[in-house]
Amino acid sequence: MIEYFLLAFGEVVMIFGALGIIRFPDVYTRLHAATKCDTGGAMTILLALALYTDASIFIKLKLLVLAFLIALINPMISHAIAKGAYKYGIKPEVVVDMYAWDNP
Amino acid sequence: MSRVPFYLKERLEEVHRRVLYESYDAQKLPVWERIVLTWIVLFSFWIVITANTSLDNLVIGSIATLIIASFMRDMLMEDVRHKGHLIEKIIYFLLLYAPQYLIIMAFRLIESNIKVAKNVIFMDIKPGIVKIKTDLHSDTGITILANSITLTPGTLTLDVSKKLGETYLYVHWIYVETLNREKAGEKIKGDIEEWLKKIFW
Repeated sequence: MIEYFLLAFGEVVMIFGALGIIRFPDVYTRLHAATKCDTGGAMTILLALALYTDASIFIKLKLLVLAFLIALINPMISHAIAKGAYKYGIKPEVVVDMYAWDNP
Repeated sequence: MSRVPFYLKERLEEVHRRVLYESYDAQKLPVWERIVLTWIVLFSFWIVITANTSLDNLVIGSIATLIIASFMRDMLMEDVRHKGHLIEKIIYFLLLYAPQYLIIMAFRLIESNIKVAKNVIFMDIKPGIVKIKTDLHSDTGITILANSITLTPGTLTLDVSKKLGETYLYVHWIYVETLNREKAGEKIKGDIEEWLKKIFW
């Protein structure tokens, strides 16, 4: 029963993440939606699959290892994209920018 | 004029205590402890990936991972804090620290998903880039802290800079509430840093 709830939660979160990529104004706020919603949605769907499947215990452990790798890699990629965009010269639409104060 | 020497003396004592503490904590683990901890991690990964518990597979896997662990002993265990016994360390990590961290991060992740959905619907954003200070110095600890900050609600790590023995993080915050460094640090880091300071230096 709980796996259907987890699947529904994951799909709703992924839909809101895709909607956030369309609606937010610039690169950095779009990365917020992409990182958090994709990590949460993919991890929830993998957890639901690990609970739902009838295979042996090792297949479930492999799905959990996959969820762990997603949680490890996804924030690193978003950090790399954000820093690369800043070095390339895309100015963020912000109220305060302490990174530009220290690196003129 | 009368207050300057007292201030300098106090500051010198503080720096001296901190150097003593950190030079004790920054010692590396003994060689066999590094090999054994790396071997445990690699061997559990071998068992999960091959999915085969016959005796031949276990023997081959233990020998191969032991050879790899004796070469690669510095990669994983370089920044672990130098205290406690080996068995005590493993039991504490498996029973106390890892479940605590996983439960905290799971609830923070669900909260951040709901918060991003709320931001998408109402568009009530006021973004800004703030600078906070951390007490961690090792590379592994800073990496885990930055990844945790990225997954907690409303924040995204941009860059790390180390100056004069202190570490600063630049954080893109989707709704800036305060510009004071201590208050912003408390709001952004939460209790994750206290947890990480028990293991990494």
